[in-house]
Amino acid sequence: MSKYTPTIGIEIHCELKTNTKMFSSAPVAFGKKANTCTSAVDLGLPGTLPCLNKNAVRLAIKACTGLNCTIDPLVKFDRKNYYYSDLPKGFQITQQFHPIGKDGFVEIETEEGKKKIRIERIHMEEDTAKQFHKESGTYIDFNRAGTPLVEIVSKPDMHTAQEAAAYVEALRQILFYLNVSDVKMEEGSMRCDVNISLSDDPEKLGTKTEIKNLNSIANVQKAVAAEIERQSALLDEGQKVEQATRRYDEPTKTTVLMRKKEGNVDYKYFPEPNIFPIALDPAWIEEIQANMEELPQARKERMISQYKLSDYDAGLLVNDREKADFYEEAMKTARDAKKMANWVIGDISAWLNKNSVALAQSKLTPEAAAELVNVIHDGVISGKQGKEIFEEVMQGKMPREVIKEKGMEQVSDDSALLEMVNSVLDANPQSIEDYKNGKDRAIGFLVGQVMKASKGKANPKKTNEMIRTELTKR
Amino acid sequence: MDKTTIEQSAKRLSEVQPSLNAVVTFAELPDEISTQGKLAGIPVVLKDNIITNGLRTTASSGILDNYIPVYDSIVAKRLKEAGAVIMAKASMDELGMGGTNRNAFTGPVHNPYDLDRISGGSSGGSAVLVASKAVPLAIGTDTGDSIRKPAAFCGVVGFKPTYGRIPRYGIIPYASSLDTVGTFTRSVKDAALALEVLAGRDDHDMTSSYEEVGEYSELLNDDLKGKKIGILRTVSDEIKNPDIKAAFDQLVDDLKNAGAIVSDLEMDRKLLELIAPVYKTIANAEATANHSNLDGIRFGVRKPGESVEDVMTASRTEGFSSYVRARFVIGSYSLFEENQDRLFRKAQKIRRLISEAYARLFEDQDVVLTIAAPDVAPKIEETSEVRFGIDRFEEEHMQLANFTGYPSIVLPLGLSDGLPFGVELTARPFEEQKLLDTAAGVEKVIDFQGEPTL
Amino acid sequence: MDSRLYNKQEKRQDRQPVWKGNLKVEKFSSEYFRKLANDLKFDLSDEEIEALKKDFLAVEKQVELFDTIDTDGVEPMIYPFETPTVFLREDEIVDVLDQDDALSNAADVRMGHVHVPKVVK
Repeated sequence: MSKYTPTIGIEIHCELKTNTKMFSSAPVAFGKKANTCTSAVDLGLPGTLPCLNKNAVRLAIKACTGLNCTIDPLVKFDRKNYYYSDLPKGFQITQQFHPIGKDGFVEIETEEGKKKIRIERIHMEEDTAKQFHKESGTYIDFNRAGTPLVEIVSKPDMHTAQEAAAYVEALRQILFYLNVSDVKMEEGSMRCDVNISLSDDPEKLGTKTEIKNLNSIANVQKAVAAEIERQSALLDEGQKVEQATRRYDEPTKTTVLMRKKEGNVDYKYFPEPNIFPIALDPAWIEEIQANMEELPQARKERMISQYKLSDYDAGLLVNDREKADFYEEAMKTARDAKKMANWVIGDISAWLNKNSVALAQSKLTPEAAAELVNVIHDGVISGKQGKEIFEEVMQGKMPREVIKEKGMEQVSDDSALLEMVNSVLDANPQSIEDYKNGKDRAIGFLVGQVMKASKGKANPKKTNEMIRTELTKR
Repeated sequence: MDKTTIEQSAKRLSEVQPSLNAVVTFAELPDEISTQGKLAGIPVVLKDNIITNGLRTTASSGILDNYIPVYDSIVAKRLKEAGAVIMAKASMDELGMGGTNRNAFTGPVHNPYDLDRISGGSSGGSAVLVASKAVPLAIGTDTGDSIRKPAAFCGVVGFKPTYGRIPRYGIIPYASSLDTVGTFTRSVKDAALALEVLAGRDDHDMTSSYEEVGEYSELLNDDLKGKKIGILRTVSDEIKNPDIKAAFDQLVDDLKNAGAIVSDLEMDRKLLELIAPVYKTIANAEATANHSNLDGIRFGVRKPGESVEDVMTASRTEGFSSYVRARFVIGSYSLFEENQDRLFRKAQKIRRLISEAYARLFEDQDVVLTIAAPDVAPKIEETSEVRFGIDRFEEEHMQLANFTGYPSIVLPLGLSDGLPFGVELTARPFEEQKLLDTAAGVEKVIDFQGEPTL
Repeated sequence: MDSRLYNKQEKRQDRQPVWKGNLKVEKFSSEYFRKLANDLKFDLSDEEIEALKKDFLAVEKQVELFDTIDTDGVEPMIYPFETPTVFLREDEIVDVLDQDDALSNAADVRMGHVHVPKVVK
């Protein structure tokens, strides 16, 4: 362990899942033809004015609630002024002075147990346009301009790369569970900037660097670890850490300098004169909060009690809302909760990983998965046979269909079984004799013979019953 | 509405254009003229900061010289829906910044009473086209006194309703917390009718008012009996021009004779002296930010450059006049973090003190009346654009109605050496009916007979 | 639409500082005003700077005038009317420009995008 204590704070930008922009009624879209999802407002055309999206505010309220923030019921906006080709108005409308949420926290799991990471503020703002830099120049697509965002700023409460990653993961899960955002880091609907400083004096903070644009949780962890290592090495050599913006370079697994910081940029923030303060109706806020989706932690606790799952299994399911949703849907018909969980966490997850398919995109339905559990549970096929038909079930077939095609059904059909039982009895008079003399294990032998004759398809339980009945007749 | 046909208007517009230089762009006239709506067949002119779909809109700035909007302002939409015909876009001080209409990309606008004199600004083009009877109605915007000052100088009725009464969506802004859309007409009744068409909430402008829109022209009542009119003496006492002084004193007597209850009001001179500096600080700061979108990238005149930064810099350097760039620098300076407390925020605080003092004048009055401007329009070559010096409050007092958002109207009062001057009436917010009623009474008492020489 | 455009996605880059707090130029020098102007993305000529210097004497006088007014406990007046509103827009798609309209005023349009010289990184 290094002699330096790293201090880490994280800023996250999240696109809100709305139909329209923060301040205009043009559609929010990803991957649409360039410059087809804009209004005059988004292009910053002269004379346009902002008009705040109710749904964006609703989602921000949900985010605040999910992250335990105090909500400011008087919504105000400010202008952040700077010139850049991706910023149509020459200012961004944001909430510098009165963020909608503040003083929240999120709980993360660490090696030392649960830990609270405090959240300083959550504020609403608008996204910029997207630029593509080519040799022939820069190409600007304004479709993204004006997309609603929340920015979530943590307190510098993290001290390890694992904690940083766990914090981002926790936030990602909560926002995903609440349907606030798609939280797709690779598509940019969730973007992460990390501030790191090292110090050997617990009373003082060191010089911080900022790592921008981390595009996955794995990279958050790797980048923080690399930056801690880099700063430690500098400090060990008696050198100074320079205040700078850096980025994570995946191939070399190091952070690279983007630019040095020379003083603070003055964004000349001032209150947005075109948006009067908006008083949110307390009843509306309460209604939003009362109808919020279940949060990951609450869901885990409920799943443990409802399905009698282990803490570990419930945790694995809840970590991936898709899997938890799938599991609960399957449990509407599945008759063995533990086995259902095992399939989802085990074989199904492994298959999806191996084939790089998301659960939603796979052909497996919750109904099919539940049927698989049920046919084994009911003894229609054995567990071993279950594994044999699994691949085809993953291809979209119903288990009973595959069982039929493969002729795997255990013989429970009375007349066929009866025929087999009687021919086995006819062939083994000694065993009948033994049974009548009180040797009960003769039954075992006879069942075994029937199983053999049926090539294992006979239902053992049923066979057993039938042999006993037939023996009384002899 | 004052009867002028589309043909008469078109003819008159081209007739006066060489002398007044008031039109920036002539509109293509529609094939069919509406017979439906409150303004059916009425020719109107719009100040060139009012966005018109498909019709060039420049705000008299070089950087927007080629700008053809793809949407309509709420104002343009409502006018068209009421049957009005947009004839032309009128010259203004660049981006509304100025009070002379000398600072327009197309050059100064001339006063129809004396072509050597300014029209006043920033809505000068709109003012002179109503004065010269090219149109009965022109739309302007008023941030400081940009409708009312030129109205006074050109002998027409200039009306700035309450802030938020007319939606601002589609108005190229100057200072968002002060900007108000209003009208130029030759009568109070016409102003009332235009307001009926233009006023009312539109969700595109979150600051526009839900307050009910009245039948202002229908209900217009010019009876002054019992009307409480306060005379803001602190301002009117500053009049030096003897013609204006005499006319004003005469008016006060006439109002009393007409049955109005007239009383004298005073306001702290110290606060009045702060009007201009507070106004400039707030307006320049908001304007700097408001016009950051003018960069030549998505619209407007783009100048070449090596990098996108160069493109923006070249476009903005050439696209704005020296005067506008200077005001942007001053506005930006007052917004710096290190300066906001002593400049921008301080001005906003003093705005509150001034507004509170002004509001107290209305405690026992229906309207407050004073002189619009202490003198007639100056000669073009004698005006230099006042940049940032110390101002006389009697020149700038009409900004009070912008600080407070109160509705305010200027009426022509008389002529001095053949040049018009006016009076200003102001009322409490959204009391447009009361203001227009009183104004109609005052208009009747004055019975202005000025005719432009043009 | 040229799909090649999307091969090289934008790396969201940091903004150039608009204004540097620890400005090393002397306040109200010519260089100072040039810097102020350049931060606003325009240039000033020497004559324009000289005129601005005079303006700033007035600005400083104005600060002195402001200083004479006691505004302790006075809130900034940001809007003419201060009753909060309650309106929020429903999340429904209404105003959308088609691509032609969106780009009709841009001086340089290529492959459905607004084109500018390469942004300096």
